[in-house]
Amino acid sequence: MHNVVHLDNLNKVFKLKTGSFFKRSEREIQAVSNISLDIPKGQSIAFIGPNGAGKSTTIKMLTGILHPSSGQASVLGLTPWKQRDKLAYKIGVVFGQRSQLWYHLPPGDTFELLAQIYNLKKNDYQKRRDMLIERFGLSSFLDIPVRRLSLGQRMRAEVAASLLHAPEIVFLDEPTIGLDVIARQELRDLIRQWNQEEGLTVFLTSHDAGDIENVARRVIVINHGQIVLDDKVSQMRRQYLASKVLAVKFHEPPLSPAISGISILKSSQYTLKLEVDTNIIPIEQVVNEVLKLGPVADITIENPPLEKVIAHIYAQGNKLAPDRNDNET
Amino acid sequence: MKHNYLQASAKYFWIAKITMRSNLAYFGEIGSRFIFLAIILYIFMCLWRVTYTDTGATYLGDFTFAQMLWYLAITESIILSTPDVSQKVDEDVRKGTLSIHLIKPLSYPLYFLSMTFGERIVRFTMNMCVGACVVYFFVGPIGLSLKGILLFSLAIPLAFILDFLTYFTIGLAAFWLEDTRGLRIIYSRIVMVLGGMLIPIELFPDFVQPIIKVLPFSQIVYGPAKLFVNPSSQFLFTLLLQQFIWVCLLTLFMQYIYKLALERVHANGG
Repeated sequence: MHNVVHLDNLNKVFKLKTGSFFKRSEREIQAVSNISLDIPKGQSIAFIGPNGAGKSTTIKMLTGILHPSSGQASVLGLTPWKQRDKLAYKIGVVFGQRSQLWYHLPPGDTFELLAQIYNLKKNDYQKRRDMLIERFGLSSFLDIPVRRLSLGQRMRAEVAASLLHAPEIVFLDEPTIGLDVIARQELRDLIRQWNQEEGLTVFLTSHDAGDIENVARRVIVINHGQIVLDDKVSQMRRQYLASKVLAVKFHEPPLSPAISGISILKSSQYTLKLEVDTNIIPIEQVVNEVLKLGPVADITIENPPLEKVIAHIYAQGNKLAPDRNDNET
Repeated sequence: MKHNYLQASAKYFWIAKITMRSNLAYFGEIGSRFIFLAIILYIFMCLWRVTYTDTGATYLGDFTFAQMLWYLAITESIILSTPDVSQKVDEDVRKGTLSIHLIKPLSYPLYFLSMTFGERIVRFTMNMCVGACVVYFFVGPIGLSLKGILLFSLAIPLAFILDFLTYFTIGLAAFWLEDTRGLRIIYSRIVMVLGGMLIPIELFPDFVQPIIKVLPFSQIVYGPAKLFVNPSSQFLFTLLLQQFIWVCLLTLFMQYIYKLALERVHANGG
């Protein structure tokens, strides 16, 4: 398959000058180390990691703002830091915390300006704009100054604006930050639909597990500048944390369970919530044992929340690479 | 290639246009500036009236009392229409929003230049209208000719570009300085004093006049205002030539600083 993004041993070292004027010492910080990565066309990936892991640094190198210390990269067949101007026409970028819409003007005005900035032909632009207005449900507030829009409306317009020039890949940096539950879900649905129906390649960073689950198929976890996990979202959940959560309701107060490989998360008179380590004991066996504890009214088996999985991966990454950031030179 | 230039200039024209529209949306703020402008002009009218009466002169440095007030209306309108380019560039550098601009197929300096024009066209025109009304009400008309207005409108674009180049470069200084506010204040005060906002250059001591006239500050404020009050093709020609030389020099300087700044962005991410 055709790769939209290809990274080969990408490195970025920041030189940090510290100390007073006379006693200057230079410290090197390896922000990104040896990242290699391929993203095929039309894939949606979540690029996640704790603060300071190297996410923004990578995005900045992919969009051509930052020059790497060593390594190769190609985005849509172009070397970002050498052909930034050319690349700019083919990529879309949304920063959740920084607006590209003009604050005092309606979104429609920004769209017209963007059409000029990206040299869109009048007919193409109008068609594309009308489609985006319809799909993103912008018609009711297209003529209202951005300052009077709700954050949900603004972000919808923001994402639509980034798609106006029909980019082949879109970088979304925390697009749902600050949105309420409904607005968040709407935006995720829109991005996912656009990815699935239009074949848009989506590169998403977020701290919200829901974004990752609802938008991305593939997840790449980065920590201390290195990729610590690269897998399907579903696989990550299943494999990385070999545990399940079992919630049971009883008709009568149950006996206390004595099964190895489980821990009790919550227990009240009629209910029991257990975490099962499936490496030690298979889930069927636990269910069998639980049925013996008393008359069961209801039983549910859940995967642990994705947030917990992610926290677990981050924590592991910390153990793997202690103090990698403090290499004094 | 020609087509490309056309497309590129269309972008910047649109940026100027949309800035104009955006500025028209701030009517409240513009309105408060009008009141300020009217008060300033009133105060100066009183001061100059005393000066002219006490000295008994009809002309002070080539200016009649009425011309002096019209001159003030223009210089104040120019100064009060100054956009906050420095603050915005400074903020972009500090908050890292510069990268958003770099991701777009746009030149960052030209983007700001277009915004400057968009903003100044709206603000300067409005200031001028208010200033003209106030001054007309106080001292009546001066012999305005079409030629004067034409010469004036030829001198004003380069004046705005000159002012822009300095403010933009000061904003970029945020890459190296903790705070650019100091530079900004120093520069704006120099423009006010050496630019001839309050007092025309003719009223400065004789020996400093030639120096001040060659410096770019007076070409931003004094030059255009003088042309409006006292149109002269000869004066325009000298002014345009001086403005042009300074625009070239300051553009080179700005581009050098911008290049250094970009190197820093490419190395550190801004």
